[in-house]
Amino acid sequence: MPDGSYSSRTAGYEVLELSVTTFNTHVMIKRISIISTILSVVLLLTMILGVSVGSSDRDLLRVVNAIIHPELDPVLSAIILKIRFPRVLLAVIAGSVLSLGGVVFQSILRNPLAEPYILGISGGAAIGAIIGIIMGLSRFPGVGFTAFAGSILSLVLILYLSTGHSLFQKDRLLLSGVMVNAFCSAVIMFLVSITRDARLHNIIFWLMGDFSAINTLQASILLLVLIPCFIVIFMLSHTLNLLSMGKESAQSSGVRTRMIIVIQLVLSSFMVSLVVGYCGLLGFVGLVVPHLMRTRLGPDHRVLVPACILGGGAYMVFCDILARTLPEQGEMPTGVVTALIGAPLFIYFLKRSDS
Amino acid sequence: MRIKYILAALILGMIVFSSVQTVSAEKLVIDPVGRRVQVPDRPARIIALAANITEIIFALEQQHRLVGATRYSNYPAEAQRLPKVGTYVRLDLERIVALRPDLCIGVKDGNPIVIVRRIMELGIPFFAIDPLNIDDVVETVQAIGDLLDAGEKTTTLVNQMQNRIHRIRNLVSTSKSRPSVFLQIGVSPLVSVGSNTLAGELITLAGGRNVVEGNNRYPVFSKEQIIGLAPEVFIITTMAREKVFDNIRQEWQEWQQIPAVRHQRMYLVNSDLTDRASPRLLEGLECLTAAIHPELLDMKSLNCQ
Repeated sequence: MPDGSYSSRTAGYEVLELSVTTFNTHVMIKRISIISTILSVVLLLTMILGVSVGSSDRDLLRVVNAIIHPELDPVLSAIILKIRFPRVLLAVIAGSVLSLGGVVFQSILRNPLAEPYILGISGGAAIGAIIGIIMGLSRFPGVGFTAFAGSILSLVLILYLSTGHSLFQKDRLLLSGVMVNAFCSAVIMFLVSITRDARLHNIIFWLMGDFSAINTLQASILLLVLIPCFIVIFMLSHTLNLLSMGKESAQSSGVRTRMIIVIQLVLSSFMVSLVVGYCGLLGFVGLVVPHLMRTRLGPDHRVLVPACILGGGAYMVFCDILARTLPEQGEMPTGVVTALIGAPLFIYFLKRSDS
Repeated sequence: MRIKYILAALILGMIVFSSVQTVSAEKLVIDPVGRRVQVPDRPARIIALAANITEIIFALEQQHRLVGATRYSNYPAEAQRLPKVGTYVRLDLERIVALRPDLCIGVKDGNPIVIVRRIMELGIPFFAIDPLNIDDVVETVQAIGDLLDAGEKTTTLVNQMQNRIHRIRNLVSTSKSRPSVFLQIGVSPLVSVGSNTLAGELITLAGGRNVVEGNNRYPVFSKEQIIGLAPEVFIITTMAREKVFDNIRQEWQEWQQIPAVRHQRMYLVNSDLTDRASPRLLEGLECLTAAIHPELLDMKSLNCQ
């Protein structure tokens, strides 16, 4: 039975999780701070690398110089501050949100392969965003709102399709996700082909993941909206531990499961749809980062949530650097890089969870 | 004493005034899209954000002011040496800024609006053009000529373009026949042009009747539909060269039901001549006229490929 094969894997986590949750809080806080500090440094270093790589100049020393003495090379410092920095910031935001989305979906749906893109949540958001763009709404809050509506529709559809006699049958969940995703792509292509809107000419580039169309102010507003969401999910991270063991055990521990599940899923979809509205579809990030973190740091969500926020940001900046530097001329969409890395990993994880 | 002060103040004022004048030697212009743009009096570092703009600037002999162009700006050959700033639909903002332009000239329909907004946010004037038909193209050349103060050259070029349009109009009016035309852009898929495109307008001006109807600018066809439409003239505009064209012509040979195939009226025209809103569009017009009305104009005398 396929269901059993997944739970046998998660069974390993459960024992660990129980042992982790019995740690005393003091040790826990210390562990979270150490890991967060290390990952913050990693994130900061990747961001510095991110702002020093670009199509016009790739000299790290000159970049550092331009940051310290902006008056010496005003063009380069403008490029760094007004073009590269917001781009890197948006990449960090997107990486954090998508990784966090992955962690939340994986634990609540109790499926190690769940992820906003694979489940079609991102696809639904993309449809909403395109409709918003056609309606002539601004990227924020207008397009963000239509994208959110789209992602919620996807979410409801997926939950409806995959809940049967037992809650969240694992293979049905993935299959429903794949189908919702396929349907979403068809709707997107349909919208693109029926509209003669010039604004949609570039939609293919945006869809494949693009960080270039944002300024620092917009990125900062986005960050300000998202930070409270990060905090709420972090505060609820211990409930993710319980939920990933199963709804019953969570309930027996006094968690108001239904409420918590709804908050987490809706909040994650909200964050994902904002990111999709700004930078299109970036697949498999929510799969790669949480898995990487879980194998290194263990399954405790109190550690995983901050680790995915910081590590996901660094991962996305890294992917964006590759997207900018790999092609000899111009650049490729970042979504191509995340999919090239993520899709084979997805297949690998799927194969491993089978055996 | 007081006079001295007043004099000093006057001189000081004049110095300040004149320095302000030289620093902000700018003019307010209205671009063809109707936007008010503050541009330098004599723009000296221009980036052309579409291949047709590069061509127009070269045709106006103002190429010494160009510091950048888009990737497929391939005409004239000299344009290929300009630093590239991405393609016109995917502009590389960073390279644009790094070239320190004092003016960007772009297209309304094509350049991504999000990047255009960012260019303006960074304080670079953006002059937008939006030529939708052949008369617009002439007006656009005039507008860019005025913007760059190209003087005589603008007048000559604009007159030349108008004369060539008149010549074709007169030529075509001598013929009563209006052969049906199917114009295929690119090699595959079978994409054609609606009447509200530049190439669609060229067909009509060249004395043909576009078999494509309706509002869709770039409709996709199947072979079956083309056989049903039975065009008398079949024009393929592509950047692919003779060999590829021969293969396509060969492929169509089995469809002798199509008059264009039966009478060997299949022609190859360089797509840059029919889809770029530049002075070379007139060459495209002449090539289409030669294809549709060989009795009026000899294609061999033109450079259509």
